This record gives sequence, structure tokens and C-alpha cells, in this order.
Amino acid sequence: MLVEQAARLSDETSGPLTTATASITNDVLDVETLKAFEKVKSEDGSDFVIELIDLYLEGTPQRIQAIREAAFEKEWVLLKRTAHTIKGSSSTLGLHRVAQVCQELEVTSLSSNDAIDGLVQALESRFAEAREALIAERKRRLA
Amino acid sequence: MSEFHITFKEPTPNRVLIADDDPVMTHLLTTILKQQQCQAVVANDGREAYRILQSDSRFRAAILDMSMPFLEGLDIIHYMRSERRLMRIPIMMITAEQNIKLMTDSFSAGATAFLPKPFTPEQLESAVRMLIGSQKSRRAN
Repeated sequence: MLVEQAARLSDETSGPLTTATASITNDVLDVETLKAFEKVKSEDGSDFVIELIDLYLEGTPQRIQAIREAAFEKEWVLLKRTAHTIKGSSSTLGLHRVAQVCQELEVTSLSSNDAIDGLVQALESRFAEAREALIAERKRRLA
Repeated sequence: MSEFHITFKEPTPNRVLIADDDPVMTHLLTTILKQQQCQAVVANDGREAYRILQSDSRFRAAILDMSMPFLEGLDIIHYMRSERRLMRIPIMMITAEQNIKLMTDSFSAGATAFLPKPFTPEQLESAVRMLIGSQKSRRAN
């Protein structure tokens, strides 16, 4: 019974998110995905979406730095795990381009280490785009 | 003179263990749990979750990320299912991995539910409700 419910939840994941992806208004940030979190009420009544944006912007640069260092030190397990963490929060917030390059980093770190440097650079530039989009969204919400 | 022994059944605690190294996820999970009148106890990696579970078993449920520093979510499930005082706690695994094998591995290890990332707030809420409710139904049986 629980297994069935869990499997159904798994199936549902591709449903609404596929719809949201189809209605992307911005290639960098899927605003519809982010907007879905408006329904969550924060403890002090502030905008929950802004809280998520702030946490993401606060933590992700350190993780990208950790990826850069792991690439330099050839610590592939650490690199893969950190890319995986960024992928999770990025996809949840609708930052699909960041999530995509993290996915490539995860796969590449296991097979071809030569391409890592290029992917780390791609991650940095995609995060820069994402950061700009999130700051714009934050400003719009505060206005 | 006969003796009377009255045993009070311990109430189900409203505490839920969250183990995830991503602050965005822990904040999201903590807030959703509060809305469902549950208190979150947060571990920022697998080792911290293991340490908490060594001395504390009063959890209504546990939500574990699959990929964490020091100890993976699967390691924590194996530990919980091998300890008598923890084995009845429902566990939900969350992961951004796209490998279906991880879902079967999680259920084989003893997970109660599995939620792949990305998820919407509605999907998370219904998964948490199901998880919390699953211990009630286990106790009723």
C-alpha cells in the first residue's frame, strides 16, 4: 500500500513539473516552479520564496568553490556529491540550466576527468545567470 | 493483596528527524513539518544523523537525503532497521538521483516512502502526511 502510494508520488513528480517546464517564461529561471512555493507559509509571515532564494544564494557560491577545489585536487567523489547537492536545490527552485550542468558534472566525474574544467566554468557562468534572475525576482517580490 | 500494574502507552512524539546537507531542503522540510504540527530535528550530514539516533529514538518519522557527507542515507536506513528501538520509525528517502535502482534499494533496505527531487510543495506535503500517518496505522494494527 505504502509502496503503491510512493510509486504514485513518483509518477506525479513528472506530471506537474512537466507542465511547469512547458510554460517556462525565462530560460534561466522557471518562475512557475518557484511560484509554487508561495503556498508554503513561513513562520514569521514573510515571503517564503524570498527565504528560499536567500538560502540558495548564500550557500551555492561556497559549494561551487568546493567543486573548483575538488577538481584541482582530483577529489572526484567530493566533486560528484557537491554537484549532486547543487542539482537538487537548483531543480527544486526551477533553475534547470544550473541543474543540467551539475548533472553533467556528476556523470563526467565518473568517466572522463578531462572535461571537468570546462564544466566547472559552465557551472560558474550558469550560476551567475541564475543569481541575476533570482535577484531580479527577489526585487520584484519586495516591490 | 493483589497488585495492579498500569502501563501508560507512550504518546507518539511529534518530532521528525531530517538529514540533509542542503540548507534549502532542510528549511523547506522544517517549514512543511511545522505546518503539520511536527517539530523538525535537523542533521546536516549522515554522521550527525547517526549520532542523534544513537541516543534518541523518539521520532515519529525520519526524512533522509540519499547523498550526504560521511554517511549516506542508505547507511542510516540500514542502521535504523538493525536497531530494535528505531526499526518501527517510518523513513522517507529523498534524492536528486535519477537512477530507479536507488528507489528499489531504498525499499529493500526498509524505506517506507521515496520522493525524487525536484518536487512541488504539494507533493512534499502529501508525502509527509502519508509518512506521519503510516506510524499511526502501524500502531493501530
